[in-house]
Amino acid sequence: MLIENNGTRPSTTAASCPDSNGTLPSCAGLAVPYVPFQQNNPQKYAQSEALSNGTLFPGLNLPFRLAVEGSSLPNTPLAELQALEFVLLELGIYLDTHKDDAEAFRMFQQFSAMEKAAKAAYESKFGPITKESAAAGDSYQWLCDPWPWNYAQNEVK
Amino acid sequence: MFHYEKKLQFPVRIATPNPKLAAFIISQYGGPDGELGASMRYLSQRYSMPYAEAKGLLTDIGTEELGHMEMVAAIVHQLTRNLTDEEVRSNPAFAPYFVDHTTGIYPTAASGFPWSAGSIQSTGDVIADLTEDLAAEQKARLTYDNILRLSDDPDVNNVIRFLREREIVHFQRFGECLRLCKEKMDARNVYLTNPAFDKIQPRATGQG
Repeated sequence: MLIENNGTRPSTTAASCPDSNGTLPSCAGLAVPYVPFQQNNPQKYAQSEALSNGTLFPGLNLPFRLAVEGSSLPNTPLAELQALEFVLLELGIYLDTHKDDAEAFRMFQQFSAMEKAAKAAYESKFGPITKESAAAGDSYQWLCDPWPWNYAQNEVK
Repeated sequence: MFHYEKKLQFPVRIATPNPKLAAFIISQYGGPDGELGASMRYLSQRYSMPYAEAKGLLTDIGTEELGHMEMVAAIVHQLTRNLTDEEVRSNPAFAPYFVDHTTGIYPTAASGFPWSAGSIQSTGDVIADLTEDLAAEQKARLTYDNILRLSDDPDVNNVIRFLREREIVHFQRFGECLRLCKEKMDARNVYLTNPAFDKIQPRATGQG
């Protein structure tokens, strides 16, 4: 296209900028906002570090008042599941604007499989997370405590 | 449609109740830049979007914001658990909320103004909506900054820092989405038509 010069978008060029920088068009039409594109295949945290920092991507981690450490997480089976699901969610949103990043899609597939297995293992031990799996037990367990907003669900189990 | 998952996106476990802090944090539930408004804004805007990336992104971020609403509510709920009359009486910041809602969760701003759709927009215009979304993420981010200034509870700040960082990631994605949409519009004049409404694209009149 004439103005934005799509041919030079990150999907077709090797990453030449630092990971915390994205790409802008060399010539850009006036009177619209431009946020730099995050480059394909950006650096990624491991899953628990991602949940702790609120993003999978070190390049996007911009905390308030130089708080360099992420949030502390409880050492619970639930937090482990939450970390897996967080990576899946973050990749899903990333792929909405980077659908041609094959590496990210492979990771998305991999985490989807891991999350499925981890959720089934969690539910068999601690009760259903989805209504669907509430049918799997011997009796109706959906109403059992704790509910997510209760302090207890987030305690160490 | 939506399915409920009986867990939070991020752990919320507040050891010490603190109703004063709850009276501030409720703003991110039902205030002008809170999570209720965010989810309603994105989940409403998606219907008129003509491009797949925008439909997908607004659906995914709007859904995540529903989960953030639940997290903010969980913070307020835990900050106000097991209160006595005396704790409420001695707390001028929380008492006005208490008189109307006891310790129920109600979508209101910290200033007392109830949640209003007047604080969001769904314009049916691709560039206007996505530009609003960029601003919305910044407004939510700064509200979380201000909560971090007001709170010295590490259990609360753990969660607030997570929510704040999500606003930055969403801002990035909305910016990228706006550029993806713009590429599908008239290259010489992106304002030539509104692709969400105008079915016939007139011939470009721009120069160059």
